[in-house]
Amino acid sequence: MKRYELIVVGAGPSGLSAAIEAAKCGVEVIVFDENEKPGGQLFKQIHKFFGSKEHHAKVRGFKIGEELLREASDAGVEVVLNATVTGLYQNKEITVRIGDAIHHYKGDTIIIATGAAENMVTFPGWTLPGVIGAGAAQTLMNIHGIQPGKRVLMLGSGNVGLVVSFQLMQAGCEVVAVADAAPRIGGYGVHAAKVARTGVPFYLSHTITKAHGTDHVTGVTISEVDSSFKPIAGTEKYFDVDVICIAVGLSPMSQLFKMSGCNMEDNPKKGGQVPIIDSYGETSQKGVFAAGDVSGIEEASSAMIEGRMAGVCAAQYLGYCTEEEKENKLKDLEKDLDSLRQGMFAPSNRGKLIEKTDEGIDVSMSLLTKGFVSDDEIERFPGVTHKVGVHPVMECTQNIPCNPCQDACPKGCISIGENITNLPFVTDGSQCINCGMCVASCSGQAIFLVDEDCGDGYASITLPYEFLPLPKIGDVGSGLGRNGERVCEATVVNVKNLKAFDHTNLLTIKVPKEYAMKARFFRA
Amino acid sequence: MSRIENHPILGEPKKGKTVSFTFDGKTMEGCEGEPIAVALKANGVSVHRYTQKNHSPRGIFCAIGRCTDCVMVVNGKPNIRTCVTPLESGMTIQTQDGVAPKEV
Repeated sequence: MKRYELIVVGAGPSGLSAAIEAAKCGVEVIVFDENEKPGGQLFKQIHKFFGSKEHHAKVRGFKIGEELLREASDAGVEVVLNATVTGLYQNKEITVRIGDAIHHYKGDTIIIATGAAENMVTFPGWTLPGVIGAGAAQTLMNIHGIQPGKRVLMLGSGNVGLVVSFQLMQAGCEVVAVADAAPRIGGYGVHAAKVARTGVPFYLSHTITKAHGTDHVTGVTISEVDSSFKPIAGTEKYFDVDVICIAVGLSPMSQLFKMSGCNMEDNPKKGGQVPIIDSYGETSQKGVFAAGDVSGIEEASSAMIEGRMAGVCAAQYLGYCTEEEKENKLKDLEKDLDSLRQGMFAPSNRGKLIEKTDEGIDVSMSLLTKGFVSDDEIERFPGVTHKVGVHPVMECTQNIPCNPCQDACPKGCISIGENITNLPFVTDGSQCINCGMCVASCSGQAIFLVDEDCGDGYASITLPYEFLPLPKIGDVGSGLGRNGERVCEATVVNVKNLKAFDHTNLLTIKVPKEYAMKARFFRA
Repeated sequence: MSRIENHPILGEPKKGKTVSFTFDGKTMEGCEGEPIAVALKANGVSVHRYTQKNHSPRGIFCAIGRCTDCVMVVNGKPNIRTCVTPLESGMTIQTQDGVAPKEV
């Protein structure tokens, strides 16, 4: 039986981060992962991440994955792929299936970072080919370059459902609707808004009552649900679809902890069965740590920090760094993690209806139920102001931990202030130079550059555009409102794509000036 | 055609060379190294197996090797997870019925 100083289970964002941090302290680390490639789910994430610079904000998930793999290889981390850890026993012994053989190893410390699995809901027809997990859709289109189908209904309006809906459209699929049994949208408003403005309807308080088809999905019926989530007869709506995507949350894959006898809890706020851990991930068994989604569902950014924390703690447990060195490293990591857990979507706020922002502004109820801020609500947010000439309009209306916009502006026009969850506002006396960096840097695609009166009866609006085919200068089409409905005719007057924009094209459209604050998307 | 030719963020997908395989006796083409399930999807195949008791169809569900809904008979061996098994030239792939190849 081979012995290692640290065995990490899972080569996703959290496991790799843990291995890197421990290896940097001098620990001999081995990582086992059941997949053919390392990186976990990071390589499927093609959207720009939220957060601050420290959290890799405005960097796309797969780029963060590439950085992580480089860092792991530089730190000398050994990753064994196609290796499924099938058991964790007392005294930190593990069994690993590689090929047709079972290997037996012992760790002086163990970090489990096995992540989470997708939840499922059942309805008549749910086993038909064509009913897939949202993660499956991401895997097919973003890793393997194939569309899951042509017309998709998304069940679930959490961040996964919203982000994957957008990605489906980027892959050239049509999203016919986003449905959710909950009465309010679960994910970030900005993610919902960028889906809604393309014309995708949201059906809240709706669930799937039937998937149609004999050998493959050919359609879906959704129905409104009452307050106890029972479908209401007579409210059925039918859609022609060939794919039904399910995004109804994740559950920690915590079986290994249970097997080894760690103290467990059933905690709905963390997504189910999780090991009981201290603030740095150590379980009731000394030297056995949990990091990432397996200890409570959050997101990749926090998983990476939790991984680093567990890596540092394992190194100190093994004697590779002093208590003081550990405390110093943990202090910085804790600060980063803490800032990610702030705001309306903080784990502690899960399930709560928040009616006012930290600034005391009424939250848009239209955003929570329809996916877009209505025209009469938008003016009350601090990012939405009026000025002569081109100026940023920031339709950021919820307190989320994200601030790349304030660093993006070379002229200092945008400020978030000290608290990362504050809503952005335009600073006094600043002069916008129309460079577009703020538009491209907003992970929520919520910033527009608007010239409300170009002098000729028209207004110009610069908006982020991440679809193909890319419209060309001179193209005439429709200006769509925040709700995705046509509001006016629009002409493309500029298309900008710089390397610094990282594949977010900036489309400038001209619209009659009365639509300056209404048109937010372009359809050819 | 369900393959993505060009993607606004990812560009052109990087794919292995084109290879032939058979599905229920029919010759098809796919890209070497991609999951069998992806090659089948590109050829319009969505039913991978029929369940033993009720003979109800199953296909891709999780696409990451967890749910085992997409298993098929590959090179004569049943219960192969096609979403995580790379396609090789000359593979024989059969719809699974229960745990045996489906008669065609």
